[in-house]
Formats: sequence, structure tokens, C-alpha cells
Amino acid sequence: MASKFGLAGGLPERRVRPIWDAIDSRQFKNALKAVTTLLSKYPNAPYALALKAMVLERMGKAEEALSVCLSAKELLYTNDSILMDDLTLSTLQIVFQRLDHMDLATSCYEYACGKFPNHLDLMTGLFNCYLREYSFVKQQQTAIKMYKLGGEERFLLWAVCSIQLQVLCGNGGEKLLLLAEGLLKKHIASHSLHEPEAIMVYISILEQQAKYGDALEVLTGKLGSLLTVEVDRLRIQGRLLARAGDFADAANIFQKILELRPDDWECFLHYLGCLLEDDSNWCTEQGVDSIHPPKKVLCKISPLADELFDSRISIASAFIQRLQEDSNNKLLRGPFLANLEIERRKHMHGKGDDEKFLGALTDYYVRFGHLACFPSDVGMFLEVLAPDKKTELLEKLKNITPSTSIISTKALGQSITLLKLQVLSGNMFHLPVSELERCVVQMAEIYCENLPLSKDLDPQESMHGEELLSLICNLLVELFWRTQKCGYIIEAILVLEWGLTIRRYVWQYKILLLHVYSYLGALSSAFEWYKLLDVKNILVETVSHHMLPQMLASPLWVDLSNLLKDYLKFMDDHFRESAELTFVAYRHRSYSKVIEFVQFKERLQHSSQYLVARVEEAVLQLKQHAHSIEEEEATLENLKSGIHLVELSKEIPSKPLKFNEDFESRPWWTPTSEKNYLLGPYEGIFYCPKENLNRNLEVGVRRNVERRSLLPRLLYLSIQSVSTSIKENFEIDGSLSDLKISTELKLLLESYAKMLDSTFEDAVELVTAVSNGLSSYKDFGHNLVEWFNFAVFLNAWTLCSDELGGKNADGYQSRTWHIVNSLLEKYISEAVGSLESIIFTPYDNSMRTLVQVVSEPLAWHGLVLQACVRSSLPSGKRKKKTGSAAELFSSPLFLAVRDSTQSLCTTLEVLLEWLKGLVNQSEEGKLEAILSSIQNNGKNDGPGQVFRTLENLTSSMNSTELGHRITETLKSWNTVDVARKLITGKHVMLNEFIKICESKFKSLQKLKQQISQV
Amino acid sequence: MTTLRRFCCNDLLRFTSVNLDHLTETFNMSFYMTYLARWPDYFHVAEAPGNRIMGYIMGKVEGQGESWHGHVTAVSVAPEYRRQQLAKKLMNLLEDISDKVDKAYFVDLFVRASNTTAIKMYEKLDYVIYRRVLRYYSGEEDGLDMRKALSRDVDKKSIIPLKRPVTPDELEYD
Repeated sequence: MASKFGLAGGLPERRVRPIWDAIDSRQFKNALKAVTTLLSKYPNAPYALALKAMVLERMGKAEEALSVCLSAKELLYTNDSILMDDLTLSTLQIVFQRLDHMDLATSCYEYACGKFPNHLDLMTGLFNCYLREYSFVKQQQTAIKMYKLGGEERFLLWAVCSIQLQVLCGNGGEKLLLLAEGLLKKHIASHSLHEPEAIMVYISILEQQAKYGDALEVLTGKLGSLLTVEVDRLRIQGRLLARAGDFADAANIFQKILELRPDDWECFLHYLGCLLEDDSNWCTEQGVDSIHPPKKVLCKISPLADELFDSRISIASAFIQRLQEDSNNKLLRGPFLANLEIERRKHMHGKGDDEKFLGALTDYYVRFGHLACFPSDVGMFLEVLAPDKKTELLEKLKNITPSTSIISTKALGQSITLLKLQVLSGNMFHLPVSELERCVVQMAEIYCENLPLSKDLDPQESMHGEELLSLICNLLVELFWRTQKCGYIIEAILVLEWGLTIRRYVWQYKILLLHVYSYLGALSSAFEWYKLLDVKNILVETVSHHMLPQMLASPLWVDLSNLLKDYLKFMDDHFRESAELTFVAYRHRSYSKVIEFVQFKERLQHSSQYLVARVEEAVLQLKQHAHSIEEEEATLENLKSGIHLVELSKEIPSKPLKFNEDFESRPWWTPTSEKNYLLGPYEGIFYCPKENLNRNLEVGVRRNVERRSLLPRLLYLSIQSVSTSIKENFEIDGSLSDLKISTELKLLLESYAKMLDSTFEDAVELVTAVSNGLSSYKDFGHNLVEWFNFAVFLNAWTLCSDELGGKNADGYQSRTWHIVNSLLEKYISEAVGSLESIIFTPYDNSMRTLVQVVSEPLAWHGLVLQACVRSSLPSGKRKKKTGSAAELFSSPLFLAVRDSTQSLCTTLEVLLEWLKGLVNQSEEGKLEAILSSIQNNGKNDGPGQVFRTLENLTSSMNSTELGHRITETLKSWNTVDVARKLITGKHVMLNEFIKICESKFKSLQKLKQQISQV
Repeated sequence: MTTLRRFCCNDLLRFTSVNLDHLTETFNMSFYMTYLARWPDYFHVAEAPGNRIMGYIMGKVEGQGESWHGHVTAVSVAPEYRRQQLAKKLMNLLEDISDKVDKAYFVDLFVRASNTTAIKMYEKLDYVIYRRVLRYYSGEEDGLDMRKALSRDVDKKSIIPLKRPVTPDELEYD
């Protein structure tokens, strides 16, 4: 920071250094003391003021810091003799940014640059300010000015990147690229280019304008020689040639790359595509989501005539043959898989030969069948085969697979591959239950027989055959799905817990296990495993979907709150630091990364999960404070009365949503958080296609968040509506904003109804019909909780509106009170009666909605009641000016409030009694239920067999066979402990729910007391 | 079947199956992005058919004079693609860039002293233990600084093992 003359910001460095040291070591009080001393000597030094502001801001004194910053700014603007250096400005900038006043920092730099027009440091600072604001046009203008000062290449490239950003991320038209091209051309003519990244940018500018010929000229000319990695240069060349439609030359280039890197699969696809003159690879990029690229090869039927097609295929085959022969690397898979791709293309062209195809697949299996990646390598090729051919292939592979009794890693690998292929081909899903069961038992046997292979491995290393337990779990869940025998799902838990006892690092088991636990409602057990996945940093964006959706509907509010906070902190931190990191890319001349960083930040900003988390964090806060109207009002105030979220809701329809979740790691039965096949319907689904899930998801997520983001405002207006309408009725100074509230509330209710695919009138009709028993709860579809919310807010609205007869003489006893009371009362009492076993009932089938009903509509209605009572009762010094107490307390509204409070109290009492009964049921009984679900009772089929196989086989092996470590870990295994874990997981969830119900019950009791005392 | 290419930001959203492994650290964003911004050629990813991420390597080049060297910060391979010498391929790529593009003298890396599997692998790739760094990992476990000389270090001076262990404070670079 210090200048070479021993001055910093115009002050002696020896005086400034201790302040920085104190700040760095977080000794803010000392820093403040030192800066005060400094200011007494240099009262008009802007740098000293900037330092003071920084210290104050770090001490949490935002207002004081801002005021000091503004004084420094004032000094800079008014005093001509004052030094205006980058150190002072950048210090001010840091404070302004932390205070969320980036605009002030920018104006300081703008002023300084105006005053000293040719000062490169200041201009760099200004460029940086525009970068933080993502003002690409101003970035460009500043960079051009910097470039003009000394003709430096880097500043020209800053300007060019800013232009590209306008086109790719802003509103800039493609014509701007012509400007960028012109700037670069002019510079090259006089100075040439010297940075490889600059060449890349130049080529990309030309490529974006489809000037492939010009780009090729640059690449193959003198400038291209700056790209020192030959393969990288050839890749660009091949791409440009292919885009230009020069397939023959492009194929030659890709051939060259393959000669250098024969295992480059992408390059082979390009090579083959070019030979067959198929441009699919080059024209579909825009439609492909780079985060979820298609697993299938992009290709179409070759436009070539038969003869030409045959000759090109022969060329490709001969070349591939040569690559295979030339290599002595036994791990080289590319040229062998290439055979399959060639056969597949022939198939597409109507020239397929099943025998050859099967031959190529078999050959590939013989060479690489033992590798764990074999199924994913060949997955897309299996799809070409008809079902009978798939069966034929599997038979063929079975015959060449060594017997499982041969203990070798290769034989084990092949056996696992074969099993995976059976699943992948769908064959397993067509087996009769008994056969499928036998097959799973066989897998368990293979697992045990091969355990000795791993006896000497370090516990950190993956064990041989580890995948078998994942396969077993998936098939046990399938058996459960097909038979509805709960024992299978218990068995799946045991198998996975057992696997994790042997080696606790297997993340695949943890993910499967957390989903099984979640399904059964043992949410705290699921969350424990989730925490052990150590999901942090960017993984919160890609992995949270395994846990977050269940938690959103759970009573584990503290854990949920932490989950949401960690997630939002990660995202918001990134948005804050992203511009600084982009500047690092500018500074280090990594121009391609500049574009990438900005696009990446945008992608995260448009993350659907981020949107959900922002809205749900607000809703969670409201749920957590709903027991007290005062706390809720404070929460609403922090949420700006829900206005921001309403604005967000309005933006959602036009907002692009991005799904960054890694859905690949989800189990087959729940491919997205929205879907769970285990909840039915139980029809023929097997290994569902995971492609295109995003598109289906998008509509649902968009609609849901749009609706949920209205909740805080609806609640705020409901409370306001109650307060103002009652005051208006009983007080002379009743607020006139009543009408305004009523109008806004109605509008929001209309929107809310629309988001439930209904009109306002139809929505009123439906909630009325369901509350009267004329329609069933099923008519609410999947949105029961949202419909209940609608009913609650509708009731609040009627209090301040005449439209539904709310404010007429009998209005307060009108139907909306009845609707809310009846909906809540009936739903809860029905739910209480329907659930028999807490162990085997899926969370989503019963408890989930119940928890949500209590945490949301019931809670919101409780707040409406609290608001009614608070507004009706005389408070403190304020005396009622008109209306006697008797008049008030015999009013229909008051009676409705009293009855509704009583109704909720009774409902909650019943619910609490039932919940406590569930928890207090004998643990031994629950344990017995779990264990008996996997007992065979002398039969050789049904749940439990697989796990018994694992237990029996391993217990018959000694420590010489299994090794010391495995033997010891198995000694710690206890089936009963796992069963207890499941029970505890459920109990924790139930106890948290009980706490929520009790808090609601308590506040309603208090209300009842208040009412009875009048 | 490996397509090696530069790592890009979007790969951060796709490397889950690699990073869920307990031995693979998921760093904060500024760490990854600083590497991408400063040493884009030292951050590569391997892709398999179906665009699956197989593994990646991240590193940097730094130092002065004869200490000018490539450094492997992290190398990791997804479980599905292990035992195929992919780590070797990625290491060779980084060594190649250090050697041919940046003309570095050597490549180095740090490994936990207890991670015998990794140490053995690096030894197979011609790395030697240059020195022991006391309590390098969170002040608890020792680290081993392993090195491999590149063509510019004709006399292989850079890999002559130090006789005594060093403390983290004595390291020239982090």
C-alpha cells in the first residue's frame, strides 16, 4: 500500500501502518484510537477519514462510517489542493461497497478521473467500479480511454471483453462484435497481438459472427503460432472447419488429433460426424444445457448417398483399426468403443447388422467389462437393440463371464457389470418377484465371497464390489414398490447401514440411505447422514436437493434454518466477490475466463434453488415466530412487509430459471425432489429417463415459488386488515387505509387463486364446498396447504370488505369463519384417525401435510385471531371513545373470534394427544414391528433373506479371510441398534412437531383467557 | 476414453461425483476462480462418453530462478473411473505444460504423510520425497513435499532430498 516515497494516501506510512495492522488483526478499538490521533494531526486528509470509516464499518457502526465517508468525499470534491490518489479512493470504495453504496464509490472515481483525465491507476479503479456494477458499456468506454493512453494490448482486450459481455449478457446487439473486430484488426495492423488469450478472444469474436474463414486465417497464420499446445490449436481448427461446412478438411484435422490422443472420445465423434457430413454437433449448441449435457450422442441420419456412406464408414473403420493396432495401452478404450458408434451409425442409416453390433459389444465387454464405467460407456448403445436382442446379448455376456467363485478383481468387476447391464436393460424389472429376490440374494453372495479381495486395503480406499450394496438397495426398494411389503425397505436400510459400518466413507450409500430414511419420515436420521456428506461451498448448490425439499416440509426448523442460511450465505458471498474475481481474470489476461465468470454468476443468480431458498427462508421466519403477533410483526417489518417478495413474484414469470442440481446421484425412485414413485401410482416405471426432467420441473417450481412469495405480504395485509377494520368499527379515529388494504389483499388473493389454477370466485366456491363436505379434500389436489392458506387470508379479507357480506350486520359470523374452522378441524381430525403405524407410514403420505397445515394455515389463522383480540381489547392508556364494552363483546366478530379460538384449541388438543400417544407407544413394540418385518418365519422368500445372507456368510468367514479391519468393524454391527435409530429418527421429528403444536396451543390458550376475562 | 480439456466454471456444477469423495476437498469459490483466472492452463478436466466428469487436476506455476516450478494443488478421480491411470494422465498433462510451455524446473505436490496409497502412486509417477513438512495439515498431520524434476533441471538438483524436516513457516510458497 505504501508508495515508494514512504507516503500512503499522502500521509507518512509509519503513521498509517499501525492502523492497517490493527485492522488486519481485528483490534478495531486500537485502530480507532490510532486513526483518531492521525486525524488530530491531519484533520483534512481524506485518506485518514477513509481509514476511520473503514474502522467504524468493521465495528458495525454503519451510519457513522457512511457519514465519515461522505465527509471524505466532500473534501475530495471541494478542496482542489487535496491529494486524490487511488489508495484513498480504493479505501473509500471498499467501505462504500460494504455499506451497499457502490454508486457513491463510482461517483468518487468518476469525479477523480474527470479531474485527472490521464491517470491510469484512477481509470483502472473506475473500470473496476463499473465491473462491480456490471455496467458493460461504461467498462468498454473506460477501457478504450485507457487503451488510447498508451496503446496497451491488455486495455484493448478489456474493451473487447466488455463488448462481448454486452452481447452475451447484456442488451448489446451482435453488431457490436463488428466494432470489437475492427478495434482488434486495427491494433494487430500496428502492434500485432502477443497473448494467447488475446488470440482466443479474436477468434471467438470472428466465430460469433460466423466468419469462420477469417478465424481460420488467424489461427493458421503467424498469430496462431502463439497457441503453443498443438492439440488445443487443432481442436479449434477442426471446429472452425466443421462450422464452415468444410467437413473433409475438418475430418482430417480431427484425425490428426486422434493420432496424438487416440482416447479422445469427443474428438472421435467429431471425426465421424465430419466424415458422414452430419452437422448436428455444430448447430445445436445453443439448445443444450451445459450443466446437464445429453448423454446421447448428438447426431442425425447422414445425408450421404448409400455408396458414399459405405465408403466413409470403411475409412473410419480402417482408421480406428489402425489406432487399435498401434496402441499397446491396454486401458485405451476409445478406439474400441468407436466400433460401437460406427455400428450405431450404420444402424441409423438402415444398414445395421445386429450380429456385428452384438459382436462389437461383446468384444468391448471382454476387454473392459471389468471396469466400473462399462455400463455408462455402453448405455446409449443398448438403446439401439430391440428387447429380444438385449436378452440375447446378456445371455452371451453371461456365458463369457467367469464364475463368481473365481476370486479376482477382474471377475468381480465383470459380474457387477453384468448385473448393472441387466438393470439398465430393464430386464430386472420384468422378473417375477421370487426371481428378482433370488437375484438380489445372489448379489449379496457375490459381495461376501469377494470381501477377501479388500482385506488389505486402506479404509480410505474404495473396496472391491462396493457398488453391489447400492444395487441391492435399489432392487430391495423395487421389491417394496412391487409388493408393498415394508420389510424390504427396512432391509434396504440394514444393508446400507451395514455397508457403512464396514467402510463409513461411501457417499453413494449415504445418499440412498438419507432418501430411504426421509421416505419413512425418520428425517433426523436422514439429516445426520446428509451432514456426513460434508456438503459445502459449491456443493450446496448441486447437492442440497437431496435434503432441502424434505426439510422445507418438516418440523425440524432449526436444522432447516441452518441449511437455508448456509446455502444463502454461500450464494450471496459469491455474488459479492464475483466481480473482484472477474477483475483478477482481467488483470491476469485470462480474457476467456472474464466472460465465463460473468456468465457463471448469472447462472447462479438464476438458480431455481436460490429463488426457492430466498422465499422459504422468509416463510420459515414467519413460521418460527407465529406464536406471538408482536414477534411476527417484527419479523414482517424485517421482511419489508413482504413487498420485496411480491415484486419477486411478479418477476418470476419472465425470469429464466436454471437448475444446477446434480440429479444423477438421486435414486431411481425419486429422480427429482418433486417425484417419488414409492408414493404411487404403482405402474410400470423402470429406470425412468432422467433426460428433460428440467423442463417438467421448471413449470412446477416457477408456479410454486410465485405463489409462496406472496405469503408474507398476504399475512401482513391480513393482520393489518383485521386491525384497521376493527378500529374503524369501534373507534372514531379508525384508519382510512382500510380500503387500500382491502383492495390490495383482494388483488393478491386473486393472484394466489390464479396460481392455484382457479379464479377467485371458483376458489371461494371450492373452499366453501370442501368445508361443507360437498367436495372432498382430494379436490385440492397436491396443493391442500395452499388452499387452506387461501381460505385463511380470504377470511381476513372479508373483515375489511363488503364484497362477501363481510361487514354487514351479521358479516362477522359469515361463512368464511366457518370455512376456516371447518377445514382445519375436519382435516386434522381425519388425519389423526387415519394413521395407524408410525414406523411404516411414509412421511409424505400423512405427516408432511399435517405438519404444514399446523405450521402455516393454522398458524396464520392464529395470528388473525390474535390481531382481532388485540384490536378489540382496550390497550394501555388508550380508551375507547365510542361503543361500550358490552356492545363490543357481544358483536358477531367477537363471538366468531371466540368460537374459532375454541375450535382451534380443541383441534390442537386432539392432535397433541394423538402425537404424544404415537411417541409414547412402547419402543419394544415398535422394535418388534421392525424386526418382525424382516423375519422369514421358516419361509425361503420375502423380506430379510438378503440381509441374512450378508450376515450369515460374513459370520462364517474368519479374520484371515476378511482381514483384521473388516472383522473388527463387523463385530460392532448390531441390527437392533439400527432399528432403534429408525425409531429415534421418527421420534425426533414427532417431538419437534409436538413442540410446534404446543406453542400454538399455548398462545391460543392465552387468547382464550383474554377473551374470557372481558 | 478421455477428453482432456480446460476446466471451466460450469464444471464446478458438474464435478459432484468427484468431490463427494471424502478425500477430495471442496474449496471456496474464490480459490477455484483464482486458479482459473491466474493459471487456466493448469486446471484441466477429463470427460468420458456421455459428457461425464471423470476427474480433474488443478495447479499453478510459481517461484523464482531455479525455484520456478509447477505445483499440483489437487488431483481427483470419480470412483467410477478409478484404476484406469487417469490421475497419471492428468499429472502428465500438468507436467507437460510446466515443462514445455512454462519451462519450469520441477513439479511439486504435498501429500499427507499417512496417505500411503497416494504416496505410492506418486512414486510410480517418478516423484520423490523432497522433504517432510511438520504439522502441515491443520497443524496436526505432517505433509510430504514430493518433487519431480523437469527437463530444464538437467542435473536434477531440485529433487535432492533435504536432510531435515521443515516447518510450514519455512515454506517458500503456500
